[in-house]
Amino acid sequence: MSLRFPAALVLSLVILFLIGPFLIIVAASFSAGDTLAFPPQGFSLKWIAKVFTVESFRQSFVTSMILAVGGTLVALALGVPAAYAMSRYRLPFAETVRTIVSAPVIVPGIIVGLALLRYVVVPMGVPITLALFLAHTALVLPYAVRVVSASLANLRSDIEEAAILLGSSRLGAFFDIVLPNIRGGILAAFILGFVTSFNQVPVSLFLSGPGVRTLPVDMLGYMEIVFDPSVAALSSLLAFLSMGIVLAAERFLGFSRYV
Amino acid sequence: MFHNRTEALLLALPAAAFAAIVFLVPVVVLLSESFRSPAGWSLAAYWTFFSEPLNQAVFWRTLKLGLQVTAVSAVIGYAAAFAIVSLPPGSKGRMVGLIMLPLMISPVARTYAWIVILGRTGIVNQALHGLGLTDAPLRILFSETAIFIGLLQLFLPLMIISLISALENLPRDVVPAARVLGANWLQIFWKVILPLTREGLVIGGTLVFTGSLTAYITPAILGGSKVLMLETLLYQRVTVANDFVSASVIALILVVMSFATNLLLKRIATARART
Repeated sequence: MSLRFPAALVLSLVILFLIGPFLIIVAASFSAGDTLAFPPQGFSLKWIAKVFTVESFRQSFVTSMILAVGGTLVALALGVPAAYAMSRYRLPFAETVRTIVSAPVIVPGIIVGLALLRYVVVPMGVPITLALFLAHTALVLPYAVRVVSASLANLRSDIEEAAILLGSSRLGAFFDIVLPNIRGGILAAFILGFVTSFNQVPVSLFLSGPGVRTLPVDMLGYMEIVFDPSVAALSSLLAFLSMGIVLAAERFLGFSRYV
Repeated sequence: MFHNRTEALLLALPAAAFAAIVFLVPVVVLLSESFRSPAGWSLAAYWTFFSEPLNQAVFWRTLKLGLQVTAVSAVIGYAAAFAIVSLPPGSKGRMVGLIMLPLMISPVARTYAWIVILGRTGIVNQALHGLGLTDAPLRILFSETAIFIGLLQLFLPLMIISLISALENLPRDVVPAARVLGANWLQIFWKVILPLTREGLVIGGTLVFTGSLTAYITPAILGGSKVLMLETLLYQRVTVANDFVSASVIALILVVMSFATNLLLKRIATARART
């Protein structure tokens, strides 16, 4: 069945509304003019080039990368065993554990950031960078547990039970049988966690100090002061980066099966 | 299924302890601060907070925008999801990809684009001026309208995706059957499609509603310092006035609203599973 006219019209308008603004940002980042405008005045790469020369962008990009990669890895190190316990064991208080572990997804990030600043950073003298790292890890933990749990649910548990009956240790069965089979799910969880952490703003708002800022928070601050197309250029670069990661994951792993 | 309880606890404990210490305890302490006063426990902070007209206005605006964005995204979402599920498989997949694409892009970038579109010299004002409809540029940016548009664009994909999976599970012959029996499109939607896709609507609605309530980036960029929502008000109270009491009151309001919406979702989902 092909689309009738009204349906095609609705769909085109929705796509225009969802994608259009992004295309405008991309176009604006190639502008030769000095202010953010559309249609762009002339064509140049100067704003793309400028992004790489802004010291604070470089610094906050590194911060965000470390948080997104490191925080997600730690979340996986915590989340994979927890997901395994919940799916393969008769875990006491399983519901409570599930609620605690997935709570960070329901509580707004700005509250987590403020709470950490007020009760952990200030009174205990914990460095802001560490608090930021812990907050991003907590934020990603629910996704890690959820995606890996889904992956474990799709894997028949009698395979590892068979391995144990045949003499493998429980740890050995996990590393030899379970882990290779949920590899895709773990990678999907990593990408989802990475994108979530990298784009996250509210949790990092209060957890910033001199020289410590995540990239999106830095961009928010920059655009309040300077109205040139460099934020647009940076936005396009980041968008292409994350689209590239997701497309590569989809191509090689069928990422969307897991999310 | 393994039965070793100690082993199970040892596996689950690190994650649970981490979430409890890093997240649960600080957040609960912050929330409890809103009930504390020099004389002991009290609701005084809430009284003070809500007796301020500005705070009241921000509270109602946040609620109103959340409901508006949810309602409009449901209407557009149904239309778009209908169109998408009736596409042939190949182009359906591509269309779903296009709808999901914005979710990969930083919300800061997505919101920033609206400045170019809605600003004083933005596309909308240029077009209106070019058509001779306005003499002076309209002030669209830094208003509730701008926030509404920004939130709708941010969260519409979530509604569409939820409704697509609901519509795909719709039995294939119910719509033709209703039509044969003489129902018009409005009746078909109201009596057949809506009840059968309720779960998808509730899931999408919860995501959109809680997302809008707890939005920070959109009101920060498109609302400016005057048109606040609860999260931007919280940020302002802390950074401008060092007012942690109001901040904890707002925090509790946000948490209660998110939890209530999620509980409602769970109830509707389980009620459906029982019938």
